Amino acid sequence: MTALALPTGVWRRECLAEVKRSWRLPQFLVPTVLTPAAFYALFTLALNKSPSPAAAAMTLAGYGVFAATGPALFGFGAGVAMEREQGLIELKRVSPMPAGAYVAAKLAAAIFTTAMAVVLIDLLALVAGVRIPVANWAALTALHLFATLPFALIGFGLGMRLGGKAAVAAANALYLGSAVLGGLWIPPEMLPGWMRTAGELVPSFHLAQIARWIVGAPSVGSPGSHAAIVLGMTAAAGAWAWAGWRRSPA
Amino acid sequence: MMDLSAVAALAGVTKRLGGKPVLNRLDLAIRAGEVTALIGPNGAGKSTSVGLLTGRLTPDAGEAQLFGLDPRRPAARGRMGVMLQAAGLPDVMTVREIVALQSGYYVSPRPVAETLELAGLTDLAERRCGRLSGGQARRVQYALAICGQPDLLVLDEPTAAMDRGAARALWATVRDMADRGASVLLTSHDLAEADALADRVLLMDQGRIVADDTPAAIRARAAAAVIRCRTRLTPAWASVLPGVREAGMDGADLRIVVAEAAPVARLLLDADPALTGLRIADATLEDAIAHLLAAEERIAA
Repeated sequence: MTALALPTGVWRRECLAEVKRSWRLPQFLVPTVLTPAAFYALFTLALNKSPSPAAAAMTLAGYGVFAATGPALFGFGAGVAMEREQGLIELKRVSPMPAGAYVAAKLAAAIFTTAMAVVLIDLLALVAGVRIPVANWAALTALHLFATLPFALIGFGLGMRLGGKAAVAAANALYLGSAVLGGLWIPPEMLPGWMRTAGELVPSFHLAQIARWIVGAPSVGSPGSHAAIVLGMTAAAGAWAWAGWRRSPA
Repeated sequence: MMDLSAVAALAGVTKRLGGKPVLNRLDLAIRAGEVTALIGPNGAGKSTSVGLLTGRLTPDAGEAQLFGLDPRRPAARGRMGVMLQAAGLPDVMTVREIVALQSGYYVSPRPVAETLELAGLTDLAERRCGRLSGGQARRVQYALAICGQPDLLVLDEPTAAMDRGAARALWATVRDMADRGASVLLTSHDLAEADALADRVLLMDQGRIVADDTPAAIRARAAAAVIRCRTRLTPAWASVLPGVREAGMDGADLRIVVAEAAPVARLLLDADPALTGLRIADATLEDAIAHLLAAEERIAA
């Protein structure tokens, strides 16, 4: 058979369309972008009358990771489950669009939303007097954007297995759980021992430790081992999500 | 045996869904340039067959092929357009945007304006999909199926939720595409739709093909009427009358399925002058299928 090729630019167009869709859903976009910044402003800036720039930088490390988990878990977990119920994924699956383009587009939209939330937090950090070298800002931003990936894959795996309502509940539990156990809100040093132990099992803990190292705040363990653990968790989540896609009929 | 001249085929396919067997070693081939209608009652396995041919489902046993390839490969689907029964549309995208995006999946798509025109959507192009009526959304689904100028068009219950006018307009464009050489597979539980469009009808029941013929031939084989009346005559007496396919009681009524109603009705009236409540109706598709199935079982026995 001839001409069984795929056109070029499918991935790019799919990504742009998905980002546009997110932009047109302000009821999802606005809370997802504002919540992390509001939490950061409240807990770091407002409650500590005049926080030290060092303290503001340390919490910035964690809140940036928190900003990535929302779009990832809700956009993928709840979003994919609902799209499955509405038959939107079915439409894509019978088309010649490669499955990867669907995932890439959803990821692009989640990273786009994360970027807006991270920019807001970074601006608040500047107001609070956080001053770190430009290279460290760049590394921190890159890490915060990367943090979307493992949570997006976890959300994707959930979304392919659960119905819409169950996926929202699961995404909420993971959103709050990974924030608390990962030490994104309250530094892990202040958590009870069992919670610190459990924190080792969530990617947010390791991501936040790398972020702390980047901003020059105290961290535990070596950034290299945290990075290795995060990459391993990301690969496992990816395999789990792919299995869910393969076994689901729609 | 895999039919290699077919544009799409299932060979010896078995599929269970939710633990229940839906298809059992099914062979089915869609031939190039033909409009094939897959008809049958709900649960016959029509949508499952479509799911397998379009790469959405994986056979438990046997093989599915689409243009000689595994339908689960995106490239195999590049020459196929599909209109699904239960697919949704993204609420916040406009009709033009979704059609343009879908067109981009194909190597040589039809111009978007032309697709919109063919589907009767030109005036709705800038409307968001969330604000469409059910019938309008079906037309968008149709546009998504034809935008890639596919060699194979798969339409799963295409005119469900469409009014008669929209359905006829859709039939005309499907016919036109077939005349220009496209192969079409459509599922329906409407015999009239198959009659209007198809070159070939596959009648499906309980995961099997029970008849494979032209619409006219199927109609002739299935043509039947149902007579009901209140009478002292018994089903056993009625069942031996000429042309009676089936006789039984339906509540207090005698119910007889016949090939031709008039001669049997005359015999009934002659035999029981006190007969009341005589009604004659066309057999439904279910009756026709029951008849074709019964005929097949007699051959097998």
